[in-house]
Amino acid sequence: MSDKQIDIEGSQTRMEAAFGAGDGDDEATAIVAKRQASLGQIFEQKYRPWDGKLGPRWMRNYAIYRHHVYGIFSSKGHRQYHPMVRLMILVIFLASLTPIPMLFLSSLTGDQGGFLEKMWGINRYNLWGQILGYFPRNLCMWPLLTAIVVGGMISDDRQNGTSAIYFSRPISRIDYTAMKFLSVAVILAFVIIFSYFAYYTSAIVFRAEGWAFLADTLPMFLGGILAGFTLVFTYTSIGLALSSISQSRFFAAIGFLSIIYGTKLVSLLVELQFETTFLYAISPYDCLAHLGQFLLGLPPNYDHPLSFSVVSLISMNAISIWILVNRVTSLEVTRE
Amino acid sequence: MPEDDRPDEAPIITTKSLRKMYGPHLALDDASLEIPRGAVGILGPNGAGKSTLFKCLLGLISTTSGEGSVLGHDIRTEGEAIRSKIGYMPEYNSLDPNLFAIDQVRYAGELLGMNSKHATQRSHEVLEYVGLKDQRYRKIETFSTGMLQATKLACALVHDPEILICDEPTNGLDQRARSFMLQTLSRTVNEGYRSVLMSSHVMDDVQELCSSIVMIHQGRIVVQRSIEDLVDQVDREIEMSIWGGASKMEEALSSVGLETRRLGRVIRVKMEDDSTIDKILVEAVNTGIQIRQMREYEPDLEDIFLLVMDKLGAEIKGTEDLMTPEHTGGD
Repeated sequence: MSDKQIDIEGSQTRMEAAFGAGDGDDEATAIVAKRQASLGQIFEQKYRPWDGKLGPRWMRNYAIYRHHVYGIFSSKGHRQYHPMVRLMILVIFLASLTPIPMLFLSSLTGDQGGFLEKMWGINRYNLWGQILGYFPRNLCMWPLLTAIVVGGMISDDRQNGTSAIYFSRPISRIDYTAMKFLSVAVILAFVIIFSYFAYYTSAIVFRAEGWAFLADTLPMFLGGILAGFTLVFTYTSIGLALSSISQSRFFAAIGFLSIIYGTKLVSLLVELQFETTFLYAISPYDCLAHLGQFLLGLPPNYDHPLSFSVVSLISMNAISIWILVNRVTSLEVTRE
Repeated sequence: MPEDDRPDEAPIITTKSLRKMYGPHLALDDASLEIPRGAVGILGPNGAGKSTLFKCLLGLISTTSGEGSVLGHDIRTEGEAIRSKIGYMPEYNSLDPNLFAIDQVRYAGELLGMNSKHATQRSHEVLEYVGLKDQRYRKIETFSTGMLQATKLACALVHDPEILICDEPTNGLDQRARSFMLQTLSRTVNEGYRSVLMSSHVMDDVQELCSSIVMIHQGRIVVQRSIEDLVDQVDREIEMSIWGGASKMEEALSSVGLETRRLGRVIRVKMEDDSTIDKILVEAVNTGIQIRQMREYEPDLEDIFLLVMDKLGAEIKGTEDLMTPEHTGGD
């Protein structure tokens, strides 16, 4: 024992009342305990060693990614998404593909330059609208999709204490955050970017377009892709930041919808009252729409300079990621 | 395991002057440890620094000063390597209620880098080992506290770690589940030749499983010894149950120079030498009282814990004072 340690030599133990109550000067009746039945064992417990080898970092990270993404398709063995959530994702995905049948109809009817072509054919406005159009996509589809996907992504770990399962293992907080981010972004991108890609390629196939069409429209298409990725990144970072600050799926989802719709509504009211679009710089959707118009070469709907929207977008993402990183850092392994 | 293949006797965990400060608050103060293989109990009141020590050993937090190693890995720089070799069973719930037990354990294995096939196979083995073979395909939200604790243990054992750190493994368990948990941990130590570091407020559990203890108080390591050595330091006493005149007997024993303590009809006499028992019996005859039961009192770990806490000035009357509803399952 070191000098700093406590010496208890010669100490006496605590004294407890035992052998029944009383002061010992009276008689009492003894109580005899019943013999407890023996329950026996129904299996042979045997420790089995495991001599396998643990995989590298990418395998651990892939496990996190797979757990969250595969859950969308099958909840067996993976993160459980409520059946209504999965149904809603399916409905949003199918709804995002609706221009494709209209393109098909347009090609069947030979509607060159007609109504169907204008409404659903490939042009700057329609490519922008497929990702950044307000109604229905950014009013009814993308925010709702993000809200239901990010809802419990980190808040569930906080609520259930499952963060201990991650951080007591060789998983760094950076890997954890990055894989959660990637999982959400992939699910959003699967719906948003894939539907955009499917829309563009179906137009080429249905109308049997050639290289000239491709050369003409590819820059616009790539601009739209870039705008789409910016939207996915921004919505993911805002959504995950909200998920990381609470223990409730509901809070994160409602918080996200409130930010997207609330900032848009306030900006709209200010525009109607004061005839200035300046306040749209606080609306994530409008900043993305403004940037998207620039990327696709469309005339902007906003009076304020593009740089305001770009700076605002960068700030929103930076703040969201800062909150996300800070909150993930505070996730505990042991009780405090 | 053949004797030659058994792990050597070198300490598995060593720390030297480990210090951790959270701002102005000193959570660990000059902690120097040498933890041998086997089962070791980590004891201390709430807020003593047990969780901070675990976090330091897992390489999850940076230490303010000092050094340490776990299985030869530096706790300051090799946290990931350490966590690959350690199984950690947290105190509080850390399971996804929507998963089946088998999927939760498999996922815990995959998070360590096990491939899916190995993790699944191993999950079946460890769930059987912790007694949940028939509940593998039940959702965790339907589990009792005992089954939740067993699932957490299975998650910690999935990769067959060299060291198992269990934070209050018997929390909220009934007597039967508690016995099974301790039996499982004991088997892991004695048959699996793995080491277990266990923190608990239930001294009986620690005494049943562990051969030595580390006691922490206000961030300092106050005791680090085998339980046997500690028991030897405490006075040996004869405890007897008196009927028909305990007061008379107490006076008689004191009159012949024996040191006594009394609570109700129970009297304890300090064992001076082998003649003490004879003296007691003579006095019983002289005073005409009955000794219904007489035995040598063996101090348990709770006695030792309370003695140490008393010496440190901590106002703990019993380990019940350390319990929260989570420890007792709300009872």
